Amino acid sequence: MRWYAAQRAALAMLQLAVLSVLVFVLTALLPGDAADLRFTETLTPDQVVRLREQLGLDRPAVERFTHWLGNVVTGDLGTSLISGGPVVDIVKASVGATLVLTLTTLAVVVPLAVALGILMGTRENGRLDRAITSVTLGLSAIPDFVIAVVLVAVFSLKLGWLPATWVGGELLASPALLVLPVAVLFGRTVCLLSRQVRAGTITALQAEYVVQARRLGVPRRRLLLRHVLPNAAVPGVQELARTGDTLLGGVLVVEAIFAIPGFATALVDGVETRDVPVVQGLTLVLAVAALLINLGADLVCNRLVPRTELLR
Amino acid sequence: MKPIVTVSGLAARAGDSILVDGVDFEVFPGQVTALVGASGSGKTTSALALLGEHGDRVTLSGLVEVDGTVVVDSNGPTSADVRGRVVAYMPQHPGSALNPARRIGVGLRELARLHHPSVAEVVLEALRAAQLPDDRATLRRFPHQFSGGQRQRIALAQALTCRPRVLILDEPSTGLDSITRLQLVADLEDLTARGLGILLLSHDLELVRALAQYVVVLDAGRVISSTLPAVLDLPPAQGTRPGGDPLLQAMNVSASLRPRGRDTILHEVDLSVRPGECVGVVGRSGSGKTTLARCLAGLHERHTGRLTLAGADLPVLRKRSLEQNRRVQYVWQEVRGSFDERRPVDDQVARTAQRLRGLTLSDARAEAVATLSRLGVSAMIAARPPSRLSGGELQRAALARALLAKPDVLVCDEITTALDEHGTGLVVELLLELKAQGTALVWISHDLGLVSAVADHVLVIDAGRVVEQGPPSTVMSDPRTEVTRRLVRAARVGHEPPPPVLTSSSDLRSNLR
Amino acid sequence: MRARTPLAVSAALVLIPLLVAVFGPLIPLDPAAGLPYERGPGHPLGTDGLGRDVLELLLVGGRTALGMAVGAVVIAYLVGGVIGLVAASTRHRWIDEALIRPLDVLLPLPSLLVISVVAVGWRASALAITLAVAMVNVPTVARLVRAAALDAASGPVVEALRMQRESWAGIHLGFIGRAVLGPVAADVGTRITLAVFLVASVNFLGLGLSPTAPDWAVSVSRNREGLLLQPWAVIAPALILVAFTLGFNLLADRLVHRTRRMVEAKR
Repeated sequence: MRWYAAQRAALAMLQLAVLSVLVFVLTALLPGDAADLRFTETLTPDQVVRLREQLGLDRPAVERFTHWLGNVVTGDLGTSLISGGPVVDIVKASVGATLVLTLTTLAVVVPLAVALGILMGTRENGRLDRAITSVTLGLSAIPDFVIAVVLVAVFSLKLGWLPATWVGGELLASPALLVLPVAVLFGRTVCLLSRQVRAGTITALQAEYVVQARRLGVPRRRLLLRHVLPNAAVPGVQELARTGDTLLGGVLVVEAIFAIPGFATALVDGVETRDVPVVQGLTLVLAVAALLINLGADLVCNRLVPRTELLR
Repeated sequence: MKPIVTVSGLAARAGDSILVDGVDFEVFPGQVTALVGASGSGKTTSALALLGEHGDRVTLSGLVEVDGTVVVDSNGPTSADVRGRVVAYMPQHPGSALNPARRIGVGLRELARLHHPSVAEVVLEALRAAQLPDDRATLRRFPHQFSGGQRQRIALAQALTCRPRVLILDEPSTGLDSITRLQLVADLEDLTARGLGILLLSHDLELVRALAQYVVVLDAGRVISSTLPAVLDLPPAQGTRPGGDPLLQAMNVSASLRPRGRDTILHEVDLSVRPGECVGVVGRSGSGKTTLARCLAGLHERHTGRLTLAGADLPVLRKRSLEQNRRVQYVWQEVRGSFDERRPVDDQVARTAQRLRGLTLSDARAEAVATLSRLGVSAMIAARPPSRLSGGELQRAALARALLAKPDVLVCDEITTALDEHGTGLVVELLLELKAQGTALVWISHDLGLVSAVADHVLVIDAGRVVEQGPPSTVMSDPRTEVTRRLVRAARVGHEPPPPVLTSSSDLRSNLR
Repeated sequence: MRARTPLAVSAALVLIPLLVAVFGPLIPLDPAAGLPYERGPGHPLGTDGLGRDVLELLLVGGRTALGMAVGAVVIAYLVGGVIGLVAASTRHRWIDEALIRPLDVLLPLPSLLVISVVAVGWRASALAITLAVAMVNVPTVARLVRAAALDAASGPVVEALRMQRESWAGIHLGFIGRAVLGPVAADVGTRITLAVFLVASVNFLGLGLSPTAPDWAVSVSRNREGLLLQPWAVIAPALILVAFTLGFNLLADRLVHRTRRMVEAKR
């Protein structure tokens, strides 16, 4: 376990190093920069050149990278080209809403998906399993934004039960703000996750070791909780790490639709204004988060079923 | 003595088909009852009825009484109380029936608490009875941290922790080399000495003969006999090496698993085989004998030393000429894995003659079908995909695939493991015939007794080195190293007293028929 | 046996949007422009927020919505498949490592993130977005193909074929290729659905195509304020998109089950 953890952490460090280079290269490669976009219409070419110097955009890429990396390591993500404020502040300002949204969704999704998955897995091909499978299969075929658009139309525009946007709302004052966004994120994630847990349960139930434990007289309840569940959870946890990706995509869409001042909104704004330092900073933070989630998932899986191997 | 298990008139049905029909047997404390039969004969179905267990859509009837509890009556299973506490079942590969997510100690203590909450030391006693160390370190480890052999013992310890009165063993000798099988016999004798009743399910007649007091022979779900069919007694050949130049020769061959000679598993082996000669290579599993065979076949590329075929250098398979490729053929041990599951077996067998001898498809197929039926695999069966053939049928098909090259040297790796006595007889007969026609044979096996019946010269390999060699009769009667002595003893399981040494191969033939 | 959605239904769900996407632009409708969110004669499905005919948009908008996704998956398989096959079939361990290890590093990158970064520079370029979606899929595809090919190539079958002197094509296409096909077919189904989602999300967010493009996802985004006024402007493109992904989901589900039954039969 310790050896595995050390190996896995080393891989994560390597990924982090490659990632930072990648984020920088990708953003540095982009045609055009903030100096073009903002001022070409009002400034003379001479002035653009001077602005570039001022922003440091004229220096060689390698130099810019080492400079940027040095700053990143000390916690300085640079300065926004548009607002002039530190990128770190933008990150801090937007992280709260996204975190609340994501964690609330997970808190609802994980227990439900595990329960549904086990329920379906233990009744493989039974009526209940078929019913839930059909629903999850259908639900997971609908894009997030379609669900969002429909839910907003029905519940806020038509019925007026729930707020349609966060604009002007204060989260702590009115938790109702969270209902629709979480409902949108909930649908697809719960489908993907419960299907994995179902598959894991079926595999574990048919495994020789479960059959043998039953033959040695282990009662059914104990069999499910102590013998099946740890093994069935592995594909679920791995899927959860991958769900991070689906979830993030969903969060972007949800934040855009409900005008939530979160990470995604900041990112889309940054993309729109070609504010490269902001995009770099946000991308890096999100990528690191994704890395950590994957690292955590792998460690949990290894703890659950220790034979999981990192290096083939 | 009062039986602890009584089965009478047991029947199992799945829809219209009858799996088991009117089976009776008893198991006594401290004795071994064996259910003998091929796969599909109803052994496992009958044995699982002792647990009140049955497959999907299978109905049980008859009477099964275990330790005073009626487990099955005319209406089907009545009780599952005996599971573990009275009857413990050991599956075919018990080592793979351990939960990878749980520490050994957790699993054992759980069973002890379930069945014998008031008895102390159940777990430690079970570990000792299964010949495992009874320390904390063992209990804290996960199954993947043990070797294959130890995992089997852990599975046994699990069963013993339940302190059952009857132990069911399903084909316990499958996949064991002959020395490990000898150990198994001793272990089971130990268990019966403790008063445990054993129900042994096996098609391994030698094992049954060595252990069982009562025998029930099943065929297609019915009891057909209560005496054991004769065990194939093959006396060791005298061993006359034909004269002439060696056809295939290995000189100073060493092989390793990793590049640049790291993890060497074969050390400086010399071997030569002349036309019409059979060289047997015998050793425990893991001794390096398969690696030697794969070096000869050109499949194991990380080796040093020199191979020659008829005096000319023999490179690895990739670099062999068409003729060299045809002349040296190899029969795989892992036979199911060596067939493409998407194509019919006869096509795959015929392909050898097409590619290596340039035959047309129809000629090659005709020859494939003829060779297969010679080995007891009918054309109808051979036209199926590999998944629908039994292990024994596939093993013979693998042999046929190599024979279609009309090879001058045939390297056979454990080609009889999946065969019953009859199949083994057919294969041995064919090998003798090939020998008579001048084919050189290299036969790799863990079974010294079997190899000795055909071989003219035997090499014993241990830890990658040749530790002993000579004519089979000499090796069998006067083994000089400890490994060989154990191999000889293992070869006698179920054959006491040892078969006499015959002198001519015509005696051998008559003995086979 | 489990009752499944009939094959014909799943196939129709996939084929109808596909046919609309491919042949739709060829159908000359040329209706007159109307008022925003108008419903009435001449516009069977009404008009959208810019007064354009919804049916016309529906017929034209599939090329980007499905074309980009399918194109991305095809490219991902061309690149990832070749990487996976080469990595699996090489005799040199370092080639395998050099090809696969870098992909391990890329694997946890969130896909919308990569696409957002690309969108900074190449906004509204369908090709750039397609390539970005393809790139995001390459690591998983390469790993899947490599695993499937390795599974087939590492067994004794390939050695047995070599012992029979089977040709290169006989081994690689006849055996390994066919062995890889099963897992790949099941994967393509789910991967296309995911790609359609990704492309649609990108376009919906305005990171991709221009906000006036006739694309199905863009239409949903653009007309969502008018959902209660003129529901067809949103529902029609949404429905056709959902039909496509649902159909693929059902087909993939069917394939996965068939593969599992085959594996079980083998035991």
